[in-house]
Amino acid sequence: MTPVRPPLAPPGLSSSSFGPSHSQLQRSRKMERGETDFNIMLATDSYKVTHYKQYPPNTSKVYSYFECREKRTDPSKSRKVKYEKTVFYGLQYILHKYLKGKVVTPQKIQEAKEVYREHFQDDVFNEKGWTYILEKHNGQLPIEIKAVPEGSVIPRGNVLFTVESTDPECYWLTNWVETILVQIWYPITVATNSREQKKILAKYLYETSGNLDGLEYKLHDFGYRGVSSQETAGIGASAHLVNFKGTDTVAGISVIKKYYGTKDPVPGFSVPAAEHSTITAWGKDHEKDAFEHIIKQFPSVPVSIVSDSYDIYNACEKIWGEDLRGLIESRSADAPLVVRPDSGNPLDTVLKVLEILGKKFIPEENSKGYKVLPPYIRVIQGDGVDINTLQEIVEGMKEHRWSIENIAFGSGGALLQKLTRDLLNCSFKCSYVVTNGLGVNVFKDPVADPNKRSKKGRLSLHRTQSGDFVTLEEGKGELEEYGVDLLHTVFQNGKIVKTYTFDEVRDNAKLKESELEELH
Amino acid sequence: MAAHDFNFLLATDSYKITHYKQYPPDVSKIYSYFECRRKKGSQFNEVVFFGLQYLLKKYLTGRVVTEDKIQEAKLFYQMHFKQTVFDEEGWRKILEKHDGRLPIRIKAVPEGRIIPRGNVLFTVENTDPGFFWLTNYIETMLVQMWYPITVATISREFKKILAKHLKATSGSLEGLNEKLHDFGYRGVSSQESAALGGAAHLVNFCSTDTVAGLLMAQRYYACPMAGFSIPAAEHSTIISWGRNREKDAFEQVLDQFSSGPVSVVSDSYDIFNACKHIWGDKLKERVMERSQDSCLVIRPDSGDPAETLIEVIKILAECFGCSKNSMGYKVLPSYLRIIQGDGIDLNSINEILQKLSEEGWSAENVNFGCGSALLQKLNRDTLSCAFKCSYVETNGKGMDVYKQPVTDPSKGSKRGRLSLRRNSGGFIETVERGAGKPEEDLLVTVFENGNLLREYSLDEIRKNARLRDLDLSPAIYNNEKEFLGKHILNGLTEAMCQTAAET
Repeated sequence: MTPVRPPLAPPGLSSSSFGPSHSQLQRSRKMERGETDFNIMLATDSYKVTHYKQYPPNTSKVYSYFECREKRTDPSKSRKVKYEKTVFYGLQYILHKYLKGKVVTPQKIQEAKEVYREHFQDDVFNEKGWTYILEKHNGQLPIEIKAVPEGSVIPRGNVLFTVESTDPECYWLTNWVETILVQIWYPITVATNSREQKKILAKYLYETSGNLDGLEYKLHDFGYRGVSSQETAGIGASAHLVNFKGTDTVAGISVIKKYYGTKDPVPGFSVPAAEHSTITAWGKDHEKDAFEHIIKQFPSVPVSIVSDSYDIYNACEKIWGEDLRGLIESRSADAPLVVRPDSGNPLDTVLKVLEILGKKFIPEENSKGYKVLPPYIRVIQGDGVDINTLQEIVEGMKEHRWSIENIAFGSGGALLQKLTRDLLNCSFKCSYVVTNGLGVNVFKDPVADPNKRSKKGRLSLHRTQSGDFVTLEEGKGELEEYGVDLLHTVFQNGKIVKTYTFDEVRDNAKLKESELEELH
Repeated sequence: MAAHDFNFLLATDSYKITHYKQYPPDVSKIYSYFECRRKKGSQFNEVVFFGLQYLLKKYLTGRVVTEDKIQEAKLFYQMHFKQTVFDEEGWRKILEKHDGRLPIRIKAVPEGRIIPRGNVLFTVENTDPGFFWLTNYIETMLVQMWYPITVATISREFKKILAKHLKATSGSLEGLNEKLHDFGYRGVSSQESAALGGAAHLVNFCSTDTVAGLLMAQRYYACPMAGFSIPAAEHSTIISWGRNREKDAFEQVLDQFSSGPVSVVSDSYDIFNACKHIWGDKLKERVMERSQDSCLVIRPDSGDPAETLIEVIKILAECFGCSKNSMGYKVLPSYLRIIQGDGIDLNSINEILQKLSEEGWSAENVNFGCGSALLQKLNRDTLSCAFKCSYVETNGKGMDVYKQPVTDPSKGSKRGRLSLRRNSGGFIETVERGAGKPEEDLLVTVFENGNLLREYSLDEIRKNARLRDLDLSPAIYNNEKEFLGKHILNGLTEAMCQTAAET
């Protein structure tokens, strides 16, 4: 069943048996029965396994930090959206799920040792170092993490959290956990991008209606199928819910419940809605029957019906606008029909749909002079929506005198998947070490890229008198004159010492008065 | 056996909870399929099918419904929809009638197979008429197949580019499988994605730092060790020595790892200075002591990738000399190599290799590391992955169904029951409307009523996904294929595969 040599083994290396060992087979069977256990020793980039041998001798502390670096870009390449500030979110999930408590056991040490022997074709794993943690610290990580409160909105280029080893023997541990901690780029980026979209929606909603009613339901998470895994879905969906309340990505809600907690029973909501299969299953000539059946199934709550299976414009004009008009007009404002286009150019389609519906269901003019469809009918655009098309659509609607009250948006891939660590330049770097008892401020400064320069020494985050954020380097923040450090210890030697509820996170991340003022 | 804690009833898009009420009355079967739709102008014409076995083993096999899970879901949906809409009875029937196992059949292309865009890759249908609503309930989870498929496909595209340049500048493909190293663990969105993406890359290569991928391949694809790595420095292990002691930091790495290859990131302050004055001068003898088996691999990590690489290789050649290989291209001494792990994607890797070859350098000199572009900078639209219902049975009568939006013809879906075959011309094609002959069907039943019926090992998958002669031909790679016409090319490819398989 298994080969003696792996088929792609690098030439020139001495071969050893690559058939599974007895313990490996046992483990495989255990894994398949769902008893997989996370092993922090196997949750790092391979090369970090070899780093304990590379630090200067007599190093007793390694101190590192995380930031969303500022990027001084070439002005000719200016991005449409600048992302000047980021939402800090997601650390608590990582701490709870992966770093707290007894994470080192003899079995896990053994497992890691075996894996790395084969993976490196050499005994390079620091068995001694991990055994020390097992014996001296009862398997808990001698690490201290200080971080900005979750939900905080902080300008780029500031320290967001710091990590340092607390036991001189475990200096190598700080950067061992870089790989797992840097994955915080994802919830930070989803929450930040989602919040920037909230600003756009707030601006146009306010301008075209005079208030922000329903803002939190204007961008619905459609991204569950378009993310790379179940775990990503949970993390990403929870990050979107920092800013909004509408989601179809159920996984996000369990993440919030389990790792943050809310005072309300659930942090996110949805409504009954059709998909193409529930329309096309009726057959091409029975689209009207499908529509009718579905709205009748859900008479007293909002119901969204995808209407482009064959011809969106015909569906709007003839089926909704004529055949089923009576049924729609009898619905209450609490239970509108929400028409969902799902193909074609997003802006063009939205405008044309509004125009057609506007002819059949006469809109009124609101206090700001914009048209609003009768309360029993609305539109949701859930195809091709990203931060740029969102801006285009709301701008286009405004130009055509349509209030944003008429519309909600769904976003999938762009909300939860079309993002990378480079968007906000999320980075983890060592800034301070203690060697031979002496503290040294360290940094990188590559000649070919000033953007990649890192901060020096021990760091802290402060607010200036004018309310701006500033990161102090080289331990300067420890001098009393700069006021309180906004970084709080959240994790210490295996224990989580400070937590935030999701309500606190939402509160910290809400749009500020000043940002709303900027918008109009 | 599916994961214990995971609640399958909560692993779907919310709106799908409400679909059992929306299908026509008396529906007894919903049959759907998955494809990577063809898209005009796309640079990817074929895909690697990979990852289904993971989903089946982890989430779908065995007893996935329990009374506890039904209760948890019921409570949750009550609050999430602010009303009762969850189909409690439907799920309880699965518990009672099928012992909590899913009455579903999935037929799929064998893992690792290379299939042209626009073909059915797997089909899903309910096996018990009482559970028609289940087929599309699992769409959300199954559509996540887009990810391992896309990573494996992109990774293989990298391999084609590397193979082309390696063959042209060295005459052989030795070392191809280590040419692209996975650096993506930190830049991916979660641990689970790292594992899945990491494993997908290992379908084509055996170089990785994403340890999670090794474990995935071990646990779900029966491969005890799917990838390898070497000791390497990172910036912290260099800068912690202080700015003035970069040489000491470098030397430490050489000393600590003297018997195998070792990679040292050299751009902490000034990559060119490091190459010229530290590696090329102060530590020159230490470097020359090393052998091919214990070579030093210098790693730049900033600046324009192509320019930096050319500059670095020039400096190293000046300091250490170089020789010409049998194809007339320059190669550094065997104890010295370079790895470029910053800013690599399909475009830049081709540009870099192009520039290197223009300047007379063999591709043997350089390996590549790739993070984001391999594991994160992809999405469902990259290969237009979609899951659509194509056939229903109502009152015992079957009907082919489809969508065909007037505003986007590329979003049209296939009709009826589907099968995949290799036709008489050697092309792979999808047969619609139930017209396919079972004996010709390349789709294999892999899952039925809670059981996994067919398993693939990474070995088999790697064989299925290997590059074919056409992919290795130096004159042709993806974009140029457009001009030769997709079908003919695919036909040739498949015919050659068939011949190869038969010998």
